[in-house]
Amino acid sequence: MTAGRAPAGHLVVEARGLAMAYGGVDVLHGVDLTVRRGEVFALLGPNGAGKTTTVEILEGFRRRSAGEVTVLGADPERGDDAWRGRVGLVLQSWRDHRRWRVGELLTHFASYHPDPRDPAELLALVGLVEQVGQRVERLSGGQRRRLDVALGIVGRPELLFLDEPTTGFDPRARHAFHRLVERLAREEGVTVLLTTHDLAEAERLADRIALLVGGRVRACGTPSELARRAAARAEVRWRAEDGTFRGERTDDPSRLVWDLHRNARGPIAELEVRRPTLEDTYLRMVHREETAVADEEVPA
Amino acid sequence: MTRRAGGGNGRGGRRHWRAGLRRGGIELRQLLRGPRELAGHLTNVLVALLLAVSIDGTVDGTEVPSAHLVVVGFAAYLLFQIGVINLPQILVTEREEGTLLRLRATPGGIPAYLIAKSLLVVAMAVGTLALLLASTALLATGPTPRGAGGWLTLLWVTTLGLLAVVPLGAAIGAVLPNPREALALLMLPAMGLLLTSGAMFPSSVLPDPVQRVAAAFPLKWMAQGLRSALLPDAARAAEPAGSWELPMVALVLTTWAVLGFLLAVPLLRRAARRESGSRLAARRGGAAHSGALPA
Repeated sequence: MTAGRAPAGHLVVEARGLAMAYGGVDVLHGVDLTVRRGEVFALLGPNGAGKTTTVEILEGFRRRSAGEVTVLGADPERGDDAWRGRVGLVLQSWRDHRRWRVGELLTHFASYHPDPRDPAELLALVGLVEQVGQRVERLSGGQRRRLDVALGIVGRPELLFLDEPTTGFDPRARHAFHRLVERLAREEGVTVLLTTHDLAEAERLADRIALLVGGRVRACGTPSELARRAAARAEVRWRAEDGTFRGERTDDPSRLVWDLHRNARGPIAELEVRRPTLEDTYLRMVHREETAVADEEVPA
Repeated sequence: MTRRAGGGNGRGGRRHWRAGLRRGGIELRQLLRGPRELAGHLTNVLVALLLAVSIDGTVDGTEVPSAHLVVVGFAAYLLFQIGVINLPQILVTEREEGTLLRLRATPGGIPAYLIAKSLLVVAMAVGTLALLLASTALLATGPTPRGAGGWLTLLWVTTLGLLAVVPLGAAIGAVLPNPREALALLMLPAMGLLLTSGAMFPSSVLPDPVQRVAAAFPLKWMAQGLRSALLPDAARAAEPAGSWELPMVALVLTTWAVLGFLLAVPLLRRAARRESGSRLAARRGGAAHSGALPA
């Protein structure tokens, strides 16, 4: 199976119209995603947006209600051992093998794979050389997650899933983890699909971001594309002649300001032009979704 | 495991066996070095020793010391306990911690897990039995197998007994919600069976309906089979049927083994399939709220 590696640029993940319903409640409403070989792809969204559900479907751990999914050329629901070996996973909730020693555990999991990485080199890569003889339960949160990454890539996977990898990290641990992900992607050529609710993390790590809110992909593109799109509609605010504040959203703020000046035949009081950042757009979308959900929950 | 073209499966299959055996070895070493678990198993042996030296008298109508009957019954109970209490506890704990999920995400992980667990259970059973019988025999003139036939009976009753309770335990471990509830749910029925299966005293003193219920479960037959291997032939006078009923022992234990396998395979498969990161997280959330897990 490993002989069937797709050429660079080929799609590693392809999902069309992915839908998921639990007990009559739709969690995903037709998600479309494509992840290209070698890129770091972030699935960004607030808690409850459907990120984990989406990823679990792609990992082959959950059955979708509808839609077409191909991961590394196969339907994840029918992924066999060879397919499993090409996918690496890092979940947020793993606390397994607590009594094993770090080096012993990594060596053990290397033995499941036909062509594993060298455990000693891997420990150096994730910065756990000193912990080799330590019990897993004694590791700090950041060390444990780095060990999870080492376990996730010991079999040389082509695709690595990172589910909310830095939740609960302090800034230093987060920074070290980001550098590790960057190294994996840039130097090792691993395709990474990570979920996060942290926009800064997605902007820093990802080549492309899909914004998942309320079970739908609201936007998808490179961080700069998204930022441009978000900034396209600027907000213009000023104090009108009657003393009240006015505001207007526009694609062409310069034209609006020009018109205002011409109409007023002079300066405009407290004029302000504000281009929204990606963060503003993200927060607005999340807020809109949350109010919509809250409205639905209010009985008629 | 599905067959794959290209002859890669043979190598992969061997790799999974090796991984499973190594895994079993490491888990066994952890068990032997873990002070809590080891203390638990040694306490059992100590209790058996205390019973052997403290119980006086003979079984009614025979020359057999009552202590021997109790020691053998206790040995049968410990085998039973390894299958239906210790094993489910291990399974539920490892399910909750994510061990099963990680192995599911690893090529050949689930077969290796099953191989390792089988090795661990057999080692626990043989170790407990050997330690118990050897220590009671050396320190308190406890029961020993009666000749070659006795050894043979000991071997097949132990093997069949494990085959009867281990798949059953695996099935229980696949459905129980969490390790904290697991122990509470399992101990009561196990204790009930211990008292009614004739393991500690001849069950003929119990009311007939109670005897019938106990006879439907493997423990009574495991104890009876072990008694036939370890007690003098004259002791069968104390059996409810007046004989060892070895064919019945074989029949009941085989039935439980088959039943257990039929139950365990789909339930384990379902348990492994249902494991996912969010379920793990949800359980962790629940456990954290109940304060049952260290932060």
